[in-house]
Parts: sequence; C-alpha cells; structure tokens
Amino acid sequence: MLNDYLLTVISNIGMISMIAISAYLILITGEISFGQQAYFGISAYAGSIATTLWGWPFWMALIFGSFLAGVAGGLISALTVRINGIYYSIATLAFAEMVRLSLLKFSYQFEIDGEWIGPNGSEGFGEIRWIFENDISILEYTLLIYLVLFLLIAFIYLIEHSKLGMIFRMLGQDPLLASVQGVKIIRYKVLAASLAGFAAGLGGMLYAHSFTYIEPQIFNVMLGVHSLAYGLIGGLGTVLGPIIGVVLDIGFLESIRGIQGYRMIVFGGLMAVMLIFMPRGILDEKRVHRFKKFWEGKTHV
Amino acid sequence: MITDFVQNCIDGIMVGSGYSLLALGFTLVFGVLKRLNLSYGPSIMLGAYVGTWSFLNIADNIWLVLLTTICATVVIGIYVEQLCFRAVSKETTIASMVSSFAIWMQLEEIALHLLPERTYPFPAFFDSGLLEFGPFTARSEYLFMFVVMLLLLLILHAFIYRTRIGLAIRAYSDHPSASAYMGIDGSSVLFLAFIIVSIIGGIAGFLILSADSQITPFFGLWATFKGLIAMMLGGIGSLSGAVLGGLILGVIEANAFWYGDPVIRDISSFMLLFTMLIIRPGGIFGHKIEIHQKIASERV
Amino acid sequence: MLYLEDIRTFYGEIEALKGLTLEARKGEVTCVLGPNGAGKTTTMFTIAGILKPRTGTLFLEDENLTHVSAQSRVRKGIALVPENRLIFPQMTIAENLDTGALSRPLKDAGIQEDILKMYERFPRLHERKEQMAGTLSGGEQQMLAIARALMAKPKILLMDEPSLGLAPLIVKEIFNIIRQLNEEGVTILLVEQNAKMALTVADHVYLIEQGKVTFNGNPSEIHQDEVIRRAYLGSEVS
Repeated sequence: MLNDYLLTVISNIGMISMIAISAYLILITGEISFGQQAYFGISAYAGSIATTLWGWPFWMALIFGSFLAGVAGGLISALTVRINGIYYSIATLAFAEMVRLSLLKFSYQFEIDGEWIGPNGSEGFGEIRWIFENDISILEYTLLIYLVLFLLIAFIYLIEHSKLGMIFRMLGQDPLLASVQGVKIIRYKVLAASLAGFAAGLGGMLYAHSFTYIEPQIFNVMLGVHSLAYGLIGGLGTVLGPIIGVVLDIGFLESIRGIQGYRMIVFGGLMAVMLIFMPRGILDEKRVHRFKKFWEGKTHV
Repeated sequence: MITDFVQNCIDGIMVGSGYSLLALGFTLVFGVLKRLNLSYGPSIMLGAYVGTWSFLNIADNIWLVLLTTICATVVIGIYVEQLCFRAVSKETTIASMVSSFAIWMQLEEIALHLLPERTYPFPAFFDSGLLEFGPFTARSEYLFMFVVMLLLLLILHAFIYRTRIGLAIRAYSDHPSASAYMGIDGSSVLFLAFIIVSIIGGIAGFLILSADSQITPFFGLWATFKGLIAMMLGGIGSLSGAVLGGLILGVIEANAFWYGDPVIRDISSFMLLFTMLIIRPGGIFGHKIEIHQKIASERV
Repeated sequence: MLYLEDIRTFYGEIEALKGLTLEARKGEVTCVLGPNGAGKTTTMFTIAGILKPRTGTLFLEDENLTHVSAQSRVRKGIALVPENRLIFPQMTIAENLDTGALSRPLKDAGIQEDILKMYERFPRLHERKEQMAGTLSGGEQQMLAIARALMAKPKILLMDEPSLGLAPLIVKEIFNIIRQLNEEGVTILLVEQNAKMALTVADHVYLIEQGKVTFNGNPSEIHQDEVIRRAYLGSEVS
C-alpha cells in the first residue's frame, strides 16, 4: 500500500516537476535561467499569505500566487531582453538572490487566535494550515498536485503543438533568423518568461501548503540549478523531459537507500557521463521526432 | 565619518583582492572556453580540503599545505576539464555547464567524506598582525594577499600578451577553428588553460582561507559566486577588469556591511550586478564585449 | 610535390571523397574545380589533416604524411587559407600574422623579417597593423589570411575559394596576388568555383564531381572540351 513516506516522495516529484517545467520553458527559448526559484518562492509566499492571513479560498490563492510569479517573470524578462547567454543567466541569478535576501527582511504578521502568524524574515513562515483546517489527507493533496500538474502539462503540450510553440523553438535556435522572419522577439520572450514564472508559481504555492512551513533559504540557487538540470537530463525535446529528470533524481535516488552518503558522487558522475553522450538529454528533439515517426507508422498500419 | 568610509574602502580592497583572484581564474577559463565552469569554486574548496587534511594528518607545515592545495586543485581541475569540457560536444554549451554543476555536487560530497565534520581550521600563513597607517588599519595577511594578487595579474598579463603560448591561447579563444589551421592544438590549449586556472585557484583558495583561518564546504558556492560576480562586474575576458571588479565588489560590500547588515551587504552586491547587466552588460571596463557580440551575431 | 592517392574520406557513413587521386607539382598553380558539394573543401581539409581519410595515402615531397596530425602538417609545410577567410577578429593584424608563425621555432630570427616582407607586399595591412582584424573589409581580410598562411613558410599553399563573397574588382586583385606569388616560386593548390578566374592562373586543372576526379589536364584542354566548357565557363568564352 502507499505509505506516507512514499506519498511524500511522489508529491515532491509533482511539485518539483513544475519548477523543472518552468526552467525547461526558458531553455527551449534558448536561454539558461538560474533564477526560476525566485518565482517558486514569490508564489509560495504570496499564496500562503492569501490563504493563511487573508482567508482566501485555496484555488484563488493558487491563481493569485502563480499570477504574481508570472508577472514578475515577464517583468524581469522585459528588463533583460537586450542581453543573452551568460549575461542573461547571471542576471536571473542576481535577481533570484535579491528576492531570497529580500525575503529575509520581509515581515508581515497578523495576530490570529492569539498567535502572531505570517512571514517573519529569516524565521520563515510557518502555520500554513490550510490542509489541516480543511482535513485533507496526504493522498488527497497528492492527487490535487497531480491534477494541477496534469493541467499544466496539457496546457504546455497544446502550446508546443501550436504556432506559439514553434515560435518559442525558433527563438531558441536562431533569434536573428526569427526576427528576420517577422517574429517580434521581445513579445514572445516576455510571454515565455511569464508562462515559466506562472508554472514555477504553481509549484511553489503547492509546495508551501504541503510542507506548511517555508523559509527564504529553501529558494536558493541550488533549487534553481537543479530544476535546470532536470530538463537537460530528461531531454529538451518534449515537456515530459524535465519530468523524467525529476523522477530520476528524486524518485530513483530516494529509493536506493544503499548509496546514502555517496548519492551525489554516483549521481553527479553518472550525469556528467550521460551528458557526454546525450548533450540535450534523454528525450531530445531527435529522439522525440523518431518516436513520433515510429508511432505514426504504427497507427497508419 | 569620512575616516569610517575610508577605512571601509581599505577593508573592502583587502577582502576584494580575494575576489579578484577568483575572478582572474573565472575570466581566463570563460575567455578561452566560452563556457561556464560552475565547479571552479568547489574544485578549489576540495583542493583546500586536501590541504587541510595534509595539515591535520601529515605535518604542521604551511608550505606543505600550500603545495597540496595547489596540486589537488590542479588534479581536480584536470578531472573537470576531461569530463565536462573536453568530452562534451562543443555545440552544446549548456551540457558543459550542467555537467560542471553535477561535478560540483560530487566534489562537495567527496569533501564531506574526506573530512566529515563541516568546519576545520585552516592554518594561517603568518601571524596575523594589524598594521597602522595614521588613523587607518589593515591586516597584514590581507595586505599580503593584495600584493600577491597584483603580482599574479602582472605575471598573467605578461604570459598572455607577451609569450607565444599566450598568443596561441588568445588565437584559440578568438576563433577555435581558425586556430586549428594555424597548427594550434586546441585540446592542448584547453588543458594548459585549466592547469593555469587551477594553479591560480589553488593560490586564491589558500590565501583566502588562511586569512579566514577556517574552511567549510560552503566555500565552494561562495567562491563560485564571488568570482562570477567580480568577473561580470569587470567585464568578461579582461584580466584587469576582473581585478577591478573584485576590488569594487569588496568596497561596496564593506560599506554596505558597515552602514547596514550582512543581508543588506549581499542584496547590494546582487543589485549592483543586476543593474549593471541591464544597463551595461559588457562590464565596467568592457566596451569590447559589445563589438564581440556584434561580430558573433553577424557570423551566426 | 604533393601527391594524393586513392583518398576516401567519410562524414559518418557518407562517402565524400571516393578514391581521389591528385598531384600538385612544384612551382605550379594546381586548380581544383567542381560544383557545390563535389568535395572540394573536403579535399582541402583532408590535405590539411583536419579530416582523416579512411584509406589512401598522402605524400609531401617524399614524406608520407597520411597519419600525421594537422598540427604537424603545418610544421611540415602545408598551410591553408581557409574558406571564408577565418581571421581572428578580436586580435590585431600584427597579432594575426604572429599566429601564422606559431609553427616555426621560437629562435627563428626570420620571423620579424617576414612580417616586414608581408607589410611590403600588402601595404594596406601595414597601415592598419594595430587595428582589430574584425574591422577589415572582406578583401583585406582575405589578404590577411593569405599573409598569415605565408608566415608559416609553407612548401605548398592551399587556398580554399579565395574569391568567395568578394566584389569582382577585389577578386581580380586577389588573383593578381596569386599570380605574383606563383611567379616568386610558391606552389599553390587552389580550389575555386569561379572557373573563369581560376583558369587564368592555373598550370594544371582537375575537375571533381561527387568525390571523384572526372578530368585532369591543362587549361587549354578544358577550353577544347565543349561539354566541360559549357558547364564551367558558359558558352561565350572562346
């Protein structure tokens, strides 16, 4: 039977997948962001404030937090639209660290039932009690996470198979060429970044309510670089790529207890070797294309 | 009031010379490879752990520590070069970066296995002393670091701009395929660059840590961050830019710390970096970068 | 001087050179003509050692260089002026010339002297010697690429489409330089699409198509062959 530990691992995979998808969205438009954890964090804080302090309904708070993260993503993208490559990566890193450090200074507390509740700088933000108050079991919450994840994947899937997805990939491969063909680069970069911010925001808000406690330190650069790595391990050819990366890291490694303590030595080495042979991940564009051909061949017969 | 400010600037320059050392390594490796080596800081960290290990287990000799730190950093540098940069195809710059991140995680865990407690003493190079200049003071070990940093800058500059090997390195970094037609062996250039950069890293790690007199695994992250920020502030690919970037970062941090607190210090350095990247991406001293980008984009 | 026999070069599984045999004689300009995709640049890369042939042999004078690396081939006397010039854009013209001499021993006192000779030959490079090479015009970059290759004191100079992307007037100038170099005794192997210009300097011509030599002779023979003349020179040439 599914025990609580296993459920926690599974729900973790779901929530981290969302920030991995977020990093993936930026990757396919040709940039590397070290800063998606900022949007994860912004939404975690904003969404939790909305449910805990303002008493908003869960879904509204989820949309609110993610929307805020999306706006922030678009804003940062608009500011950094002139730079690319390492300059962009470092700018996103700087922004994310600014957000994390600002949260260390951020205090906003209400007195509820004789207790001071709300974010309080480095002490973090505890008592995000929505699941307890509404008597939601871990299983139910996990299902809820996967419902959101499923909707997100479906949405991204639709985008990828539309003109918009094609434009995103054009930007990633040759922005100069794309602009020559009449694509308004700035508009689409900002749009992609807003979507990415929103996706990370969904994960962040769900994360906060799952753990009931958040602190700025959670949203450090390690989270961002990991989510970036997931897309690259899993593959940049399809939105399922980053999810494979997350499953491999969290699912696979958490389950092998024998290598505890040597986990990163093994995993780090494996990952480096794998990237030599598959520099764009397991499900890269070529393999996705081949699978598709194979599948189409089968269905036609 | 003004004396406080001047004293802050002196402190900043002293601490900043450590950042400058790290930025020198970063700018060299990025200048040659055009790829980001995230595991640079962690390789120095592990190298320094080997240094501390030899200090605790072999002999209490500062030169031994210096030597083992540098040698270990070089060995790790070669490992990173072979695994993350040589073997990974040149077209996929992200793959190199992510694999250097994977190796970072690996190095951190190896460090924890080598010396399982988190914090260890790192031997001081010589007895710390406070030098007084009128109303101002400076710690002798930082002053020493500053002098070493300037010396290294001069040596590196002469090496890159005055020797044939330096010419080959610059030719490779400017246009790798064209340099192959000149009979330059790209893989030797890479290898050599990593060795030089690792030696600088070893020296930097040794000096910074012996001034701090302790080491933790977090040094890796710290070194990568400070080196990167200083490099970006000064402008990628410029040696003197890297040094000035480090010093400026140091001065700003020292003042922000004095008038604010540690969090404000960190926010202000990131804010500076972010603003500068938006307004002047080439760095404070790097108008060249813009031409570079232009030419690169013309070539694409 | 340079002798290739039965060279087969592959890109993965695609055979780009299918048994190419070719000779460049000392003191001559040997010209390789052929349509796009015939394997002209592949031939150059194989001679320079950037691509390794699967079978076949390559001799320079009496030395077998088949298994020698690209780096050593420069030292042995094969210098390439690559297609699209490929100068070092972020380095000055003087530094670009220095890179050409990297294959020569450090003690070679003639290096400075040769640089001066290059400036004499290409006065425009002299005027701009402290300028970044990326700021030069296409024709000047081509001159720089030729001068840089000459700095290696090659026994044979390989030139891959020197006329590519240059204005007709500049092309004439470049071919004048080629003629002049040849008169001074430099052996040249030239790959070109601009057959008309190439034939004005060539002593010997090879036509290659789909990785094979389909014609081998001197330029006057090409003019006599009606089919080839039509294909490469257009009908108006007499």
